[in-house]
Amino acid sequence: MAETENRITRRDFIRGTTCATLALAMGIGLEAQEKEKPLKLTKVMLVRDEKVFDKEGRIDPMVIQKMMDDAVTVLFDKKKPVEAWKTIIKPKDIVGIKSNAWGSLPTPDALEQTLKRGILDAGVDEKNISIDDRGVLGNKVFQKATALINARPLRTHAWSGVGSLLKNYIMFVPSPSDYHGNTCADLAAIWKLPIVKDKTRLNVLVMLEPLFHGVGRHHFDKKYTWKYHGLLVGTDPVAVDAVGLHIFKAKRLEYFGEDRPMTPPPHHIAFADTKHHLGTSDLEKIELVKLGWKEGILI
Amino acid sequence: MSELIPHEIRGWKIQEEAKKYNRETIFEYIDGAGEVYRMYAFRELEVFRFTKPDEPDIVLEMFDMTASVDAFGVFTHGREGEEVCIGQGSDYRGGLLCFWKDKYFVCIYAEGTSEKALNTVLDLGKTIDGAIIVIGPKPEVLKYLPQGGLIENSLRFFHTHVSLNYHYFLADSNILNLDDKTDAVLARYDKSEGKSLLLLISYPNEDLAHLAFNGFMIAYMPEAQETHVLQTEDSTWVAAKTEHNVVAIVFEAVEKEAAERLLREVVVIK
Repeated sequence: MAETENRITRRDFIRGTTCATLALAMGIGLEAQEKEKPLKLTKVMLVRDEKVFDKEGRIDPMVIQKMMDDAVTVLFDKKKPVEAWKTIIKPKDIVGIKSNAWGSLPTPDALEQTLKRGILDAGVDEKNISIDDRGVLGNKVFQKATALINARPLRTHAWSGVGSLLKNYIMFVPSPSDYHGNTCADLAAIWKLPIVKDKTRLNVLVMLEPLFHGVGRHHFDKKYTWKYHGLLVGTDPVAVDAVGLHIFKAKRLEYFGEDRPMTPPPHHIAFADTKHHLGTSDLEKIELVKLGWKEGILI
Repeated sequence: MSELIPHEIRGWKIQEEAKKYNRETIFEYIDGAGEVYRMYAFRELEVFRFTKPDEPDIVLEMFDMTASVDAFGVFTHGREGEEVCIGQGSDYRGGLLCFWKDKYFVCIYAEGTSEKALNTVLDLGKTIDGAIIVIGPKPEVLKYLPQGGLIENSLRFFHTHVSLNYHYFLADSNILNLDDKTDAVLARYDKSEGKSLLLLISYPNEDLAHLAFNGFMIAYMPEAQETHVLQTEDSTWVAAKTEHNVVAIVFEAVEKEAAERLLREVVVIK
């Protein structure tokens, strides 16, 4: 028999009686709802620079450096980038930069080096810094890490809807398939494991040239990428992912001319909020600060 | 499966050892998307690599899906490209060729974009197509799909609740009692009276179909237990019926009559 308790159906989303972000992820429209403005907002930085790519389409490390400098100084309300880094990283920290090595759209080397520069500037010894993705479980720095920086590009994903900041930590578990259930709905649970719990000081969602559509597993197709020239930066991975997802949806609407749902739905972002309470996915509770280039901003 | 694979094609030579993966080890190769294959009766994957000097490698993935219906199913899971008449159904986009034939689902791609390599991908597909002699049957449930207005490449064949929610979120719980013994097809229609979505599910017997239908009515459209047709909160219409061992549901019809008409076109003959 079908279950009768605590069931959520498509109609619940249509009525707007459950999570708005989740409904949007599934391509289900919502009636506008009156919401009480929350007192404390989660800050997310969106920084864009039209010069981040050179004429050959390569990423300019100097521009990336400036984008990150601008993002962290405003995010942490400091005058200089080094002051911002020192608020989140202490000299005795052991720091892992969790990047993403997916061949078609990896975390850019220029960004990895910029993040490393910030950590060095905060006074951390170079031997206590490591950049890794698939080898984190066997990496001695990550094993002893007291702080993590999470950085990856946003892209569509064949099993989780989007490859997100939340999903980037799946390499911290010995058996990633344990978190594949319900198309990766509970990825946020990984963030409660001792190897990562409460260690993440900064999240950078790379929106330089995201992949906004794909079908099936081998789904990278250059025509579904676009040069957005952006980075999303924040301390709350759920909030940063939620903003990225909204930009994706806006891009898909612009490209396809209709609100085409993502398959599978990237509901792990909403569940990270509503079920795992890791952060907020509600745009009403997010203070989005936009810096730099505004053309084609989509949000 | 190696007996179906040529050792050389257009100067690309196969590397000696194929890598093999089963239902448990597939994640070592595919990561999270391995679950797509595990939603079907996937048995084994063999991965072959072809090399040629100064040309990109060509990778061939050959999935043994146990039965032709599941090879067809996994093929329909994600198709968006061009039909290139290889196998019993093919999809070619961006240098990636996927096709199914008999119990096999095959994907071939070049790790680069040379024209020779792209042409060889297609030639390799045709060669393997020719080597697979058996033509496998498609799922029985497909024969109940009305043909008028059917958007062919929207068709998805699957078994489980997870698959349904992958393609069209219906409910977090399994309100239609889907499992590996149910055959389901989801397809979009574009008719003169507008677009809609049709879900057909074939159960092992009539009792199970009726049980699932009643459960669905209670869970999804309790206001319409007598009429079986309802306008949902987004102003579209949903209509459902059960006939023999099949449950049929129309979603997102723009008019009540359109939902009922499409439903009437589903005729289950036993």
